[in-house]
Amino acid sequence: MNVADEITLRVSEIQRFCMHDGPGVRTTVFLKGCPMRCLWCHNSEMQKTEKELLFFKNKCIGCRLCASCKNGVHTFKYGHKIDREKCLLCGECEKNCPSSALLICGRDMSIDEIIREVKKDAAFYGQTGGVTLSGGEPFAQPGVTELLKRLKAEGINTAVETCGYYDVTDAVPYTDLFLWDIKDTDEARHKKNTGCRNKPVIDDLFAADKAGAKIRLRCILVNGVNTDETHYKNVAALMKKLRNCVGADILPYHAYGGSKAELTGREDNGDKALIPTEEQINRFKEMIKN
Amino acid sequence: MGFASVNGIERPVRLCEKTRAYAEESLGHKYGLDAKKTPCVSLDGITGFESFSPVQKYDAAIRAIAENAPLRICDGELISGAATLGAAISHVVPAFYNGAAVYMSNSHLTADFFSIVKDGIDSIRKKAEQAYRKYKGTDKEEFAKSCINCLNSFDIWHKRYLKELYNIGYTANYENLLTVPYKPAKTFYQAVQSVWFAFAFMRLCGNWPGIGRLDLLLGPYLQNDLQNGVITLDFAREILAHFFIKGCEWICGDCGSGDAQHYQNLVISGVDENGCDVTNEVTYLILDIIEELGISDFPTTVRLNKNSGEKLIKRVAEVMRFGGGTLAVYNEDKVIESMTKYGYELTEARRFANDGCWEVQVPGKTNFSYVPYDFLQLLQKKTLKSYDESVFFDSFDTMYNAYLSDIRGLLEGLLSDVKTNLMKCEDGGEWVWKPNIPCTVISLFEGGCVEKGRSYLEGGPVYNVISPHIGGLADTVNSLYAIKKLVFDDKKIGFSDFMRVLRENWDNDEALRQYALNKYVYYGNDEDEPDLLCARFLSDFADICKELDNRSGYRFPGGVSTFGRQLEWSHQRLACPYGRKSGEVLAANASPTPGSDKEGATAIIKSYCKNPLVKLPVGAALDVKLLPSSVKGEEGLDALCSLLRGFVLLGGFFMQPDVADAEILRKAQKNPGEYQNLSVRVSGWNARFVTLNKEWQDMVIEQNECCR
Repeated sequence: MNVADEITLRVSEIQRFCMHDGPGVRTTVFLKGCPMRCLWCHNSEMQKTEKELLFFKNKCIGCRLCASCKNGVHTFKYGHKIDREKCLLCGECEKNCPSSALLICGRDMSIDEIIREVKKDAAFYGQTGGVTLSGGEPFAQPGVTELLKRLKAEGINTAVETCGYYDVTDAVPYTDLFLWDIKDTDEARHKKNTGCRNKPVIDDLFAADKAGAKIRLRCILVNGVNTDETHYKNVAALMKKLRNCVGADILPYHAYGGSKAELTGREDNGDKALIPTEEQINRFKEMIKN
Repeated sequence: MGFASVNGIERPVRLCEKTRAYAEESLGHKYGLDAKKTPCVSLDGITGFESFSPVQKYDAAIRAIAENAPLRICDGELISGAATLGAAISHVVPAFYNGAAVYMSNSHLTADFFSIVKDGIDSIRKKAEQAYRKYKGTDKEEFAKSCINCLNSFDIWHKRYLKELYNIGYTANYENLLTVPYKPAKTFYQAVQSVWFAFAFMRLCGNWPGIGRLDLLLGPYLQNDLQNGVITLDFAREILAHFFIKGCEWICGDCGSGDAQHYQNLVISGVDENGCDVTNEVTYLILDIIEELGISDFPTTVRLNKNSGEKLIKRVAEVMRFGGGTLAVYNEDKVIESMTKYGYELTEARRFANDGCWEVQVPGKTNFSYVPYDFLQLLQKKTLKSYDESVFFDSFDTMYNAYLSDIRGLLEGLLSDVKTNLMKCEDGGEWVWKPNIPCTVISLFEGGCVEKGRSYLEGGPVYNVISPHIGGLADTVNSLYAIKKLVFDDKKIGFSDFMRVLRENWDNDEALRQYALNKYVYYGNDEDEPDLLCARFLSDFADICKELDNRSGYRFPGGVSTFGRQLEWSHQRLACPYGRKSGEVLAANASPTPGSDKEGATAIIKSYCKNPLVKLPVGAALDVKLLPSSVKGEEGLDALCSLLRGFVLLGGFFMQPDVADAEILRKAQKNPGEYQNLSVRVSGWNARFVTLNKEWQDMVIEQNECCR
């Protein structure tokens, strides 16, 4: 048995034909678990490392086949209530639910399995496309570097979307492109809005750069949170200092992610007030243009 | 008005202001509405008309058209000739007797423009005269005479244009027409005029021919002229743009299934009969024009192969991104392989173009028609007896075989109808053609007819094809698959109970309906089990077609299409085993059932490519809907190129990608005035969205919605 057989990764979703997670046609592997808890997270069901029960309210037809749960997770006294405390993630309700309104998020897949899955679109990757690891934070799972290594060995172009909280120098030789989040450059705000410090993100970024990583910065822009001139300037300065930075993308906050929070029983955290203005976006673009 | 773009980027400007204004007029219905004012010429005054033979009547009609159809010379037009009689837009010969059309006209063919441009119509006249001498005194004499009569009429119409052009001082057009189309074209400009003039005459007489491989035809002329310094690339683009703009002269904004489906497709790039790449400057000029004007007539298909150059693919992707579905693609490797396997010579297969829509044929020598069938209806109403209590199958295979035998019955019935209606068996046991309605004009330009002394509809062309088409492929396969899984594999419900559930339109078992919809993966998701069932089904269908092939002088290759018929069919369809209720919108062509494709465009293409496309030499069309946002920027362009390359690599046949946004379409539905020239790919043809009626518009929106 080789190493790849033994390592499993917890995957929340594999999406084909992704056009905006790096160049060309890409398959994006979303991995579960993230050290950060960003205020604006749009994939909140991928934050926890543990598997989670998702409930798609709009798909539920009220058939109550899930009420057969032995642990009493699903009750219907006051509408369909889900007691996640009691849930052992056995998957019985997922199996019984005819409309796929219930879903266990998080599937442990071996590297071989993942490779098999992503190779389905190999004919479309061509010179530019390939696989992007996202999440969650891919590097929160120890097997990720091995996965990247295997993907490279298969001749597949690799990209990783990372929050930058981990030292990734080991993965640099197997990663064609890092899409590196710079969520904020203000230390206090970073800590407050993501739950993690900014310094490690910047340190890891320079370590990766030094190791020769090709990097594209990804800058979330959240109105009233990081829409100040100083932050823009800091990002521009950061770009200048990096040796292998190939550009930066601005990702304006959108509120769609909010409704996804409800899947896991969290509050809808979508807030339209956080959407940046055109003017803010253009100003930021201007600053990082060169 | 501007030229509609779905991706928020302005279309580039290369043509002069005057040509752009001309395009706006033509796209804005000016000439279509003009033609409607003079729908036809009258035959009422012709003495003894009623006592004429059918062919004599036809010849008189063509002559009356040539003599009396209004001429139209547009201000500043670079090429001349126009199909100005409105009834032709309704597919009849626009010459009326006692207020009614006398003859239907012809379509689903591509005329032989190569002979017209390279040899000139004089050479066709020579052949016609030879035929007349040869067949004098036989039953073919009348047709041979008719060929000469129709060429004489062509002559009359040609002379009228010459006179008018001379009078108004359009010297260049006049001088070109002194040479073409009678003599071989000497220059690119003359070659374009030659194609257009012959095309316009065929259309004037009511026919809807396709153009075929325009870059292969015109490329050498342009190359020669450029080398000799007699033309610039910019002027060549203007001339060709006028060809495209004049091609819109039948657009009149009528509502229905769209106002732009006169089967005038053209095909670009690919290899020639020797296997050499034909891509040339004309290929790129055509792409320039489509990109700038968003003109969807002529709907253009690009022949790609595994060696297609980076430059071509990128250019195709760039044009596609503006939306409108103006470009479709063949993977010619597969098309040629399927045609040679079927029995065409390799050189003939390499010549392929289409019937003016997307069904593959050898251009200029094929009489083609197709017969569409709703295969889902056959399954529901015949094999499953409308889910009657009496129907029962104890295994999937017995059900499947019963269905195949119903299909065989259907196809045998078709063949026997063809025999009864079109053919007769002579004493020696040989099948010969029965007389059909006259169609001399089109017969002149279809290889084989003049030589054989037989018209296009009477077996004249070298190849005669009737192609039975599967409609509702995905719905049928998904239905079979759902029964297999629910009843026979997973035993969720007994066969008879399931028939009851379906009979009741799922009204009493929503949980099972949801289970069928959500717990199984259907055709179009790159999942082997349903995809291979589809492949098996198509293979069995193709085998039946093969068995019945050439039984009576007809080729009988199968194809897959709906051409939008899914809309009318949907009303008569019962509930589907995979969870659809009766009357819901169903799958188009060889595309997945809307809503059942959950893995995106690449998975759709992969599922489609698992089919035995090589056994379907007429073709199976795949529609792929893409959102403008998913193909924007350099990354998006890369992705679209990769999608095209992947399609070829995986062995696809024909794909019509359409970049459209359901939201934009909805806006166009509300404010049609602002979206006059926004075109969408419907199915083998493009239509200006605002000229589709509400039902068609909704279907297109729904299909685009599903690609999200």
